[in-house]
Amino acid sequence: MRKNIKYHLSIIFFLGMSFLITSCAKEIPGKLSSELLPLEGNPLVSFRILLHVGSVNDPEGKEGLCQLTFSMLASGGSKNLAYKEISKKFYPMATSVGLQVEKEMSVFTGSVHVDNLEEYYAIIKDMLLDPGFREEDFIRIKTNLLNFLEKSLVSTNYEQFGKEILNLMMYEGHPYGHHDAGSIESVKGLTLDDVQAFYKEHFVQGNITTGLAGGCPSAFPSKVTGDFSVLPEGQTPHLTLPEQRMPEGLEIVIADKKTPATAISMGFPVPISKANDDFFALWIAVSHFGEHRQHLSLLFQKIREERGQNYGDYAYADHFIQGRRKFPAQNYCRQQQFFSIWIRPLANSNRHFVIRQALRELKKLVQEGIPRERFELTRKYLLNYTKLYAQTLGERLGWQMDSTYYGYKDFLAEVQERLPKITLDAVNQAIKKYLNFNNLYIAIITEDAESLKDALVSNTPSPITYANPNMPKEILEEDLVIQTFPLDVLPEKVRIAPASEFFKKMGIPRTN
Amino acid sequence: MAKFISYTLCITFLLCFPLIMHGSDILPYDYKIEELENGLKVISIPLNNPHIISYYTIVRSGSRNEIEPGKSGFAHFFEHMMFKGTKNIPRETYDDFLTELGAGTNGYTTDDYTCYFIVFAGRDNLETVVKTEADRFINLYYDEEMIKTEASVIEGEYYSSVSSPGRRLSELLRDTAFEKHSYKHTTLGYLEDILDMPNQFEYSQLYKKRFYAPDYSIVLVAGDFDHDQLMEYVRKYYSNWEKSNYTLVTPEEPPQTKAKRAHYDWPSPTLARIAIGFHGPVYSDEKIDKAALDLLAEIAFSRSSSLYQKLVIEEQKCRTLSASFADRRDPYLLVFNATVKKDKDLSYVENEIFKELKKLKNEPVSEEILADVKSNGKYSFANSLGTTDGVASSLAFYINLATDPGTVNKLFALYEKITPQDIQEITKKYFKKTNSTVVTLTGGKAK
Repeated sequence: MRKNIKYHLSIIFFLGMSFLITSCAKEIPGKLSSELLPLEGNPLVSFRILLHVGSVNDPEGKEGLCQLTFSMLASGGSKNLAYKEISKKFYPMATSVGLQVEKEMSVFTGSVHVDNLEEYYAIIKDMLLDPGFREEDFIRIKTNLLNFLEKSLVSTNYEQFGKEILNLMMYEGHPYGHHDAGSIESVKGLTLDDVQAFYKEHFVQGNITTGLAGGCPSAFPSKVTGDFSVLPEGQTPHLTLPEQRMPEGLEIVIADKKTPATAISMGFPVPISKANDDFFALWIAVSHFGEHRQHLSLLFQKIREERGQNYGDYAYADHFIQGRRKFPAQNYCRQQQFFSIWIRPLANSNRHFVIRQALRELKKLVQEGIPRERFELTRKYLLNYTKLYAQTLGERLGWQMDSTYYGYKDFLAEVQERLPKITLDAVNQAIKKYLNFNNLYIAIITEDAESLKDALVSNTPSPITYANPNMPKEILEEDLVIQTFPLDVLPEKVRIAPASEFFKKMGIPRTN
Repeated sequence: MAKFISYTLCITFLLCFPLIMHGSDILPYDYKIEELENGLKVISIPLNNPHIISYYTIVRSGSRNEIEPGKSGFAHFFEHMMFKGTKNIPRETYDDFLTELGAGTNGYTTDDYTCYFIVFAGRDNLETVVKTEADRFINLYYDEEMIKTEASVIEGEYYSSVSSPGRRLSELLRDTAFEKHSYKHTTLGYLEDILDMPNQFEYSQLYKKRFYAPDYSIVLVAGDFDHDQLMEYVRKYYSNWEKSNYTLVTPEEPPQTKAKRAHYDWPSPTLARIAIGFHGPVYSDEKIDKAALDLLAEIAFSRSSSLYQKLVIEEQKCRTLSASFADRRDPYLLVFNATVKKDKDLSYVENEIFKELKKLKNEPVSEEILADVKSNGKYSFANSLGTTDGVASSLAFYINLATDPGTVNKLFALYEKITPQDIQEITKKYFKKTNSTVVTLTGGKAK
């Protein structure tokens, strides 16, 4: 039995080491790099063709060009095949090409059964390396982009809308300061020539990492890198970002629209990312304060569980996009990061109270730190929960690529290594160093914006009522404190604009 | 360094190799089904991928079970109450347990069932999970005040979804197409019923007694565990759960005899939408009707179909076009959905959908296209089984329908037998104008 254990451990050790060896990206400036995660016997193959190019590379006045260009590759035809033919060929294989475009990173994704690998790869190779750039694809994709900006973002998903307003506020005049899809005005001006020029300039070897995971034949990765090596060498110059602007006091933008509920997002830039040592301590603090869609979140407990105000309340130590289930999605890496709080929609009558409550909780966090038992609980939670982050092939490959971006061999392994060594003191120091409660950008979508502004500026008491006539005494007592919790809101720091004006042009619409 | 390596190994093994189709069965994993004396069914699927276990509890009660007036949305409301703890394990202790476990956990409610899942690492934790879940289902405790607070959360959830025109269109379609059956309302329920939830403490107790019982529940476990060990724990902790013996009789939907139509004016700019629903058959892995309709939906409305290519890619009238023939325990709707770029094209798109159905009645589809659709179905299902949780979550749906994962094998075998002529006959049978409900939505001016 003992021998068996040793045998298994040695196999595990070998496989583990081979994972480490194969996980390394090889980067030579101006040349293609690759990430491999071979898993012999696995009947699936997962692709991630990642570009270190994103909406920050949109030329001024042509915002949305990166999104439009890469959409032409993912949802348009190649020179060989019209998009209609591609759809027909993909269909029996139950596969497709996915695309995500972000500030500094874009990625084409795909997954296919190894039975169909050759056929699938031949198609996507042509889509990416020999795109058709047909006029009819251009019109279709550009129209879809405009429809998204004109009719979907503002009217049909105001939780996302709130987050986008926060981004506009945080990064005014900064390369991050526009929606990845651009504005209605900028997208209307984009031409097929613009798209082709952007492709030619940025779809070059040094910008690209070809990621492959799964059970592909051993010679296949070399074939892929060989094919992509026909692209010109070179890379887009590294973008030196301007310093992030911290808010001065509470800076508020209210998007005014007729709505039964209020959506709120708030936050501010932080000078660290996953690449920094301090990130791990800050992560524990913010996970305690607002772990995404988990009961662990203090904000969730105080606002939803105790008071039933809304569906959930969360906080994030860096830019967060939800992937499968509630886990973080990969390949949304950025040089500059921000802390944020997301308050899900709540009754308009309670909006002022909940803004006060969230900021009061943030103040308590900054001033008091986190209790030891919560520190221990949160750390244990993160140590276990992160083991579930990378379950699918695509997720594993994605985390491997993110690890490379942030300078780790394996970020998730780093979590296991570092978290046990972090002290409560380090967490509380990180809170003091990176979080604050006086200077925040606050984005609000609500109706009758002027009355909210008046209430905020004049610190009008904001009592709330409950359906439950027997609310616990301690909650009602705390409510008395919250409803008069002073906020230092200056009238000149509150901007109001009709919701319908957002994304027509760049930046935040002019205020009334 | 030692820790670093051991964790790397752990991550290396988190991967669950997805299925390889072999033999005639689409499902390549062995499974076992056992039933306790109290009627609780346990389905176990041990998988050869260390560490991860998915523990699902499927309660075969969803919005279909909301048969009394004023109770729409109650199954979903009760799902929320299931997180309130027991006298043995109060909510805070339950939350801390799951937090320490680092589990991926949640619940969701559908038309036919409500599902609770815990995905966690480490087979050593299995007994505690079984014990804790059994306690939650047997001894759930909440008082009237907790009901009132949670009702506000549901109202908040309603507000989270209120900005979706697609959801509004779906509500309108069901409300218009159904006269009597509880599929008339969505799982979230009508707003007036949501607003009355704070007053429903007594009904909640009745709901619990009827449906949160072993004869309405199935425990599904997939991943790294030993079946016999699992059953030992299940017998130990679930055996004293009392049967309900309640028989649900859902209202029978009368046959639709004339075409119906409704419209909704969305208050702000949005893409126009149309949904066309036809009353269809119930899920079956034996009769070909529903299986043939599944294939038809793909043939005529998938991204590779000629109508999709025409309306979305070539003419660019539509942003999206799809068919959704959902499987339900009672006869449900066969729905065609489109988002249309210009309001004025709504009637054109509607006509094109009806024209396509007419064509399918007159001409059999090609063998080649049918083969492509069958291939897509097999690979899609295979891809969904790529992780432990993928196996559990995919099968939970079918287990709700048939109480046995083997239904998937039977269903895919049935697909293989279906011919172009079968599809033609089925199209004639179900897609009659008098059996149709058309609902549309258009946006207003900017506000």
